[in-house]
Amino acid sequence: MSSAYNETLVYNLEVIKQSKRWVKHDFIEKPQLENILAEYTAPFYHPNFLIRILLFVATLIALSGATGFFALLVADMGKETISIACIVYGVVSFFILEKLFIGNNHYKSGITEAILYHSCGFTIGGLAGMSDFDNVHIILWSCLIGFSFSSFRYLDLLCTLAAICSFAGILFFEFYTIGGIFQQIIPFVFIAAFTPVYFLVKKLKQRFDLRLWRNNLLIVESISLLFIYAAGNYMVVRELSVSMMNLEIAEGGDIPFAFIFYGLTAFIPLAYLYFGIVNKDIVLLRVSLIVLAFSAFTFKYYFSLGHPEITLTLAGIVLIGTAIVLMRYLKTMRNGFTRENILSEKWGSMNVEAFVISQTMGGNQPNAEHTDMPGGGTSGGGGASSDF
Amino acid sequence: MTKETPKELFEKGFITQEQFNKIDLISSGKVVSVFYELRSLLYLGVMLFTAGAGILIYLNIGELGHLLSIITLSVLTIACFWYVISRAADYSHERVKPPTPYYDYIVLLGSLLLIAVQGYLEFQYGFLTDNLGYSTLMTAAFFFFIAYRLDHVGILSLAITAFASFWSISVSPQKWYSGDFFSGSHLYKTAIIFSIGLGIVAVLLDRKSIKKHFTFTYLNFCTLIFFVGSVTGLFDGVWGIYVLLIYAGCAFAYYAARWEKSFLFLLYAFVAGYIATTYLLAETIFANGAEIWFLYSIASCGGFIYFIIKYKNHFKQEA
Repeated sequence: MSSAYNETLVYNLEVIKQSKRWVKHDFIEKPQLENILAEYTAPFYHPNFLIRILLFVATLIALSGATGFFALLVADMGKETISIACIVYGVVSFFILEKLFIGNNHYKSGITEAILYHSCGFTIGGLAGMSDFDNVHIILWSCLIGFSFSSFRYLDLLCTLAAICSFAGILFFEFYTIGGIFQQIIPFVFIAAFTPVYFLVKKLKQRFDLRLWRNNLLIVESISLLFIYAAGNYMVVRELSVSMMNLEIAEGGDIPFAFIFYGLTAFIPLAYLYFGIVNKDIVLLRVSLIVLAFSAFTFKYYFSLGHPEITLTLAGIVLIGTAIVLMRYLKTMRNGFTRENILSEKWGSMNVEAFVISQTMGGNQPNAEHTDMPGGGTSGGGGASSDF
Repeated sequence: MTKETPKELFEKGFITQEQFNKIDLISSGKVVSVFYELRSLLYLGVMLFTAGAGILIYLNIGELGHLLSIITLSVLTIACFWYVISRAADYSHERVKPPTPYYDYIVLLGSLLLIAVQGYLEFQYGFLTDNLGYSTLMTAAFFFFIAYRLDHVGILSLAITAFASFWSISVSPQKWYSGDFFSGSHLYKTAIIFSIGLGIVAVLLDRKSIKKHFTFTYLNFCTLIFFVGSVTGLFDGVWGIYVLLIYAGCAFAYYAARWEKSFLFLLYAFVAGYIATTYLLAETIFANGAEIWFLYSIASCGGFIYFIIKYKNHFKQEA
């Protein structure tokens, strides 16, 4: 079994996309692009991102109609039959997806994604329904299998994300049900499991014959890093222990191995950052920034002086300062790092940025004007930016 | 997926040695751009700082230090604007490249601090309370000036938002006097008129080639406000008019999409148009019965998808 898509054609499409980007940034000339287009052909229907969303929404509405008919058909048939019917319906839609759309050169066209999630949902839902929705093993395993299959065969990134999360869910749940000491070592199991995954995926990403799945592997890579961090994070461990394992923390007491988790919370982001810079690994670098922020939040949460507004202000000053210093420092390229935008990314346009600004800040303007309570105006902005 | 591509293209003779060297430097990861990372950092910093400073002022109102903090913030705001205006490039109708990469963020910082200071002054001294609308209008006017003078799309968004809130405020008190402020404030009618005005302005400015890259932001606000307003009207008022209005809006959004080469507008138009059509059918032809609705959703959306794919060249965006 392999991907439902033709490997060469998908590769060609990627070459075309890259070449167009190079033309935009004056790396190559227009006539050269024409030649490349002539050599690398991809007959796919692969519209731009917004059209894909449009088609996705339209397909979902249409599918809800189809599902409605299906529901009328099986509504009176009893639980067992409905579950089986759901599985059949899901599998049939997988076939429709392959024959009708992928067979007609649809490549991630929005329609394909909508049908894919629809099929996954019904197949997995049907399997879960067979067990009356109370057997977590079956639900998690069917999620893992369903999503892994979808991400492998249809190269879908969201399915990849769902699959790796199902895997983490299984890991957690299995150890959780065994109970006793096994519950306590879950954090270490996560670290021990996802570290090899991370290094394996990094290796696999280099393999030429797996080039079709490189984006999926990228997702697995970054999520593994996040899981390794989360498993060592003091806050995650403490709150999960309290809420799921009924751990009672006495006044002045702490969770078992607390010092290890404090250490990991501080150490992992710095390690990510260090190796990110040394190895020029942008994935590590980005993840390190996110987890650094979360570590800062963790320490603030437990050792707070009770002045969130001062923290916010100071954090803002520190961030602005760091960013400006770095921008000045990287004015000339150092160690291969540059502040310039060398190849534009898909979402990197100013228009998107402007929209984000207006959504996070500007939208609060009317509230600020209507309110007659102190703390109204800009604290609305505060709420918005913490969402951000 | 494309690590080997430059090499392959080079070996096949599609790109020259020189080009290959340049591209390979990037795609092999020897040169790493932290453009977006630094920008996100800066943006986050600006957001946290202005939010924190705003809360700080409100919480400490009436205390000893607050006068000090408000003075600090005012000085900081003025410093920001002094910095950006003293370094501003000459005005041009075209896109202007900011002199430093963090320039835009200092503009943003100054503007957001201005909002904080202004809000504080209004609350503390109340000297603008009677003219709340006009102070908003002044803010809007100032932001419009900054947006055009310093060529900042984000500030333009803030300006449009402030301007929109001016309209809602100046309409609402009239309703207040007539007693139906809460029940029947026909804000959506204002919204529709406002968005039409915005659209006209956008088209005119674009025709005159004044800051053409602002057109997208104008049209985005215009279509969003218009559709939200008219969909609200659809459920609230005489629906027939609003159905027609939405259809007219869809037609406009379709041209906007083709013209701005962004199909975001088409997405808005589809959602609004679908709601309007469904409402129209619900009010007229379909009485009840689930089957007909299922059939309708399949047929309508299927038809729409078919239309998009059939005329796909029509919906192609420049890469």
